[in-house]
Amino acid sequence: MALGGYANRIAHVDLTAGTVEYRGIPEDWARKYVGARGLGVRYMLENGPQVDPLSPDNLLCFMNGPLTGTEANMSGRMAIVTKSPLTGTVTDSHHGGWSAARLRWAGFDGVLVKGKASSPVYLFIQDGKVEIRDASEVWGKGVHDTVRFFRERYGEKDLSVIAIGQAGENLVRFACWVNEDDRASGRGGTGCVGGSKLLKAIVIKAPKKMPKAANLEAWKPAHKRALATIMDERNITSPRKGGLSVYGTNVLMNITSAMGALPTKNSMLTSFGPSAEKISGEYVKEHILVDDPTCHACPVACKKEVEIKEGPWKGLRMESLEYEPAWSLGANCGNDDVNTVAKLIDLCNDYGMDAIETGHPISIYMEATERGYTNGDGGLVWGDSMGMVELVRKIAFREGIGNVMADGADATARHFGHPELAMTVKGQGVPAYDPRGLKGMGVAYATSNRGACHLRAYTPAAELGVTPLGALKVDPLAWKGKGELTKLFQDLHAFSDSLDLCKFSAFAEGAEEYAAQYAAMVGVECTIEDVLKIGERIYNLERYYNNLAGFREGSDYLPARFLKEPSTMPGSQGHVCELDEMLAEYYAARGWVNGVVPESKLRELGIIE
Amino acid sequence: MQVNFYATLRPIVGSRTVEFDLGENITVKQLVDVVVTRFPRLREELLNADGNLYPHVHVFVNGRDAPYLPNGVETLIQPGDTIDIFPAVAGG
Repeated sequence: MALGGYANRIAHVDLTAGTVEYRGIPEDWARKYVGARGLGVRYMLENGPQVDPLSPDNLLCFMNGPLTGTEANMSGRMAIVTKSPLTGTVTDSHHGGWSAARLRWAGFDGVLVKGKASSPVYLFIQDGKVEIRDASEVWGKGVHDTVRFFRERYGEKDLSVIAIGQAGENLVRFACWVNEDDRASGRGGTGCVGGSKLLKAIVIKAPKKMPKAANLEAWKPAHKRALATIMDERNITSPRKGGLSVYGTNVLMNITSAMGALPTKNSMLTSFGPSAEKISGEYVKEHILVDDPTCHACPVACKKEVEIKEGPWKGLRMESLEYEPAWSLGANCGNDDVNTVAKLIDLCNDYGMDAIETGHPISIYMEATERGYTNGDGGLVWGDSMGMVELVRKIAFREGIGNVMADGADATARHFGHPELAMTVKGQGVPAYDPRGLKGMGVAYATSNRGACHLRAYTPAAELGVTPLGALKVDPLAWKGKGELTKLFQDLHAFSDSLDLCKFSAFAEGAEEYAAQYAAMVGVECTIEDVLKIGERIYNLERYYNNLAGFREGSDYLPARFLKEPSTMPGSQGHVCELDEMLAEYYAARGWVNGVVPESKLRELGIIE
Repeated sequence: MQVNFYATLRPIVGSRTVEFDLGENITVKQLVDVVVTRFPRLREELLNADGNLYPHVHVFVNGRDAPYLPNGVETLIQPGDTIDIFPAVAGG
C-alpha cells in the first residue's frame, strides 16, 4: 500500500479453524474509509449484512485508525465493529485507555475475528503475531478478575487486556468489551458477539513504539496547532481549567437538569430537580474524587477516579462515574445515591454490560411497577438502589426477571405488555439527553446508524455553544436547522471516529485540524471538504449496510413519549420533539428517500461502482 | 435574590449559591454586572472584551438561556425566578 502511517497489517482470525492470517489493507478501502469505524464497516459489508449477529459467521472487528497510538492528541481510541445482537444494525463502539495504542505498537491496524471456538479462548498479541490461547481458566470470571489474572501471568508492564465478563458469556444482548477494568466499548452488544464466539479476551503486550508520520515536515505544525486548540483556556478541554478536564463528563448533570433536558424516571420527566446535584460532577469532585487518570496522548484527563468513603460500598475505587452511566443508573431510575451509582457502574463494568443500556430495562420495570403492569413479576420502586444492585446481577446471570431484561429494553417492555415504555430507537436505549429540551438530539437519535446514540452527532456541542470557542451556538428548543446540523456532525464525527480520535477532540479541534493531521500522517492531500466528504461516505456506507440488513423506509423514529407527552419541567416546559419536521430537513440534506440511500447517492460517493 | 453557580465558577464564588441584594426591575444584563462587580474574577469567565456574555456561557432564567428569551438579556427578573449561571460545559 502506498499510504504511510498505517501498519498495513490486519490479522484475520478464524476461531472455528483455529487459524490466523495476516493481510494488508486494500488501498482503495483505506483511501475511502480511512480506518477504525469506516474501515471496520467496510469489512462488515464485505462479510454480508444478512448475517445472524450471534452466528459464527458474524465478524467482530477490533480496529485502529491511522492516528491511533501516534503522537496525535487524544489518539488512544479503538473501534469494535460488528453486527449488533441488540439492534440488528452495524455498530461500532469505541474505548479509550491504552489498548488501542498497544495494538498499533504491536504492529496492527486491526484484528478481525470470525467463527466460533470449540472451547473458551483469548487472543495473545505481541510483536506482529496473534496467537489463539486457551481461556478456560478465566471463563466465568468478571472483567476485573480477568484483567488481574492476565496481569499476573504476563506482568503489568506494557500490557493491555480487553475482556468480556459474565454478561458476554451469558449472551446478554447489551454485553460489552471492557478495557483495563473501566474503559468500556459500551454500546451495541459487541461483548455478546464475543461471548457467542467463546472469545474471552484480547491480551496485548507491546512496548511504546510510536508510528512516524509519512510527512514529518507537515506533521509538526499540524500536531502543534491541534494541541494548541486543546490547551486554549477558553475551551472545555483546557487541562485543569476547562469544565471537562476539571469535572469530567459528569459536569453535564446539572445543566441538562436545569434546562429540562435530563430524561428522568424513564423519561416521564425532563429534570431530576435538586437530586441532580447529588450525582453531579461537582458533587463527586467535592466528596469522592481521588485521581484524574488519563488515556494515551491526552492532556485533558476527563477520567475521574473515585473512592467511596462510607456505607456498604466503602473502599470501592473505580474510574467511570461518567455522565451517561450516572444518568442511566441515577436520574433515569430515580436514584440519587451517588455511592450506589458508582457501585452499579462498577458492577456493569465487571459483568461487562453497557451501563447506559442497563438502566433501561430497570427503569421500565420501575415504571411498570408504578403503573401496575408487572403481572406477578414482583416490582421495584424508583430509587430502590439496593434492589438495583441485585437486579443488575440477575441481568448478568439471566436469572428470573433478569433473563427477560437481558434481551434489552424492547423485550422488557413487551414482556409487561406495554412496548410504549421502551425509550429506544432500533432497539437501543436513548442516552442522557431529552430531545424535548435538546431538540437536535431527537433527529440525531432517530437517524443514528447504530440505534439511539448521542455520539453519532453530538448536537449539544452547538446547542450548548461549546464548539471550538463558541463558534457555533444554536437554540436548544428550536427545531429548524437541526436536520442539517445533525448531518454536519454525523459526517465530521464519522471521520474522526475513523482516525480514531476521541470525540471530545471536537470541543477544541475542527475539520481543519483533522485534515492537517490525517494528511501529514498518511501522506496525502486533504482539505476540510475532503474530511466532510469522506465522513459522508462512511455515514452512507453504514446506512447502506442497514438498508441491506432490512432497515427500510420508516426506520428512523423516536419513542412516542418524546413526540406526544410535553415536558412538564422548567426550561423545556410544554415542548415536545418536532421529529417529522427535522427528518424532512435531514433527508433533504442527505439526499435519502425516507431513510433509504438511493443508488445514485451510493455511486456519487464511490460506495458502489 | 439567590443565584446558583456551577462547575468552574463555584471555586471562584466559594459556594453553590450566593445571595445578592438587588433592587426591583433589574434586568439579566444588570444582574450579570452586579455579579462580576462582587466577584471580579468572574468578569473574564463570563464576558468578552465588549462586555457581552460569551456564547458558551449560560445565564438561565427558570431554565431558559437568557439570550433566547423574548427580551434577551434585557429581560426583567421577577421575584421567585430561578437564576443559574454556567460556564462552558459538555461531555457525553
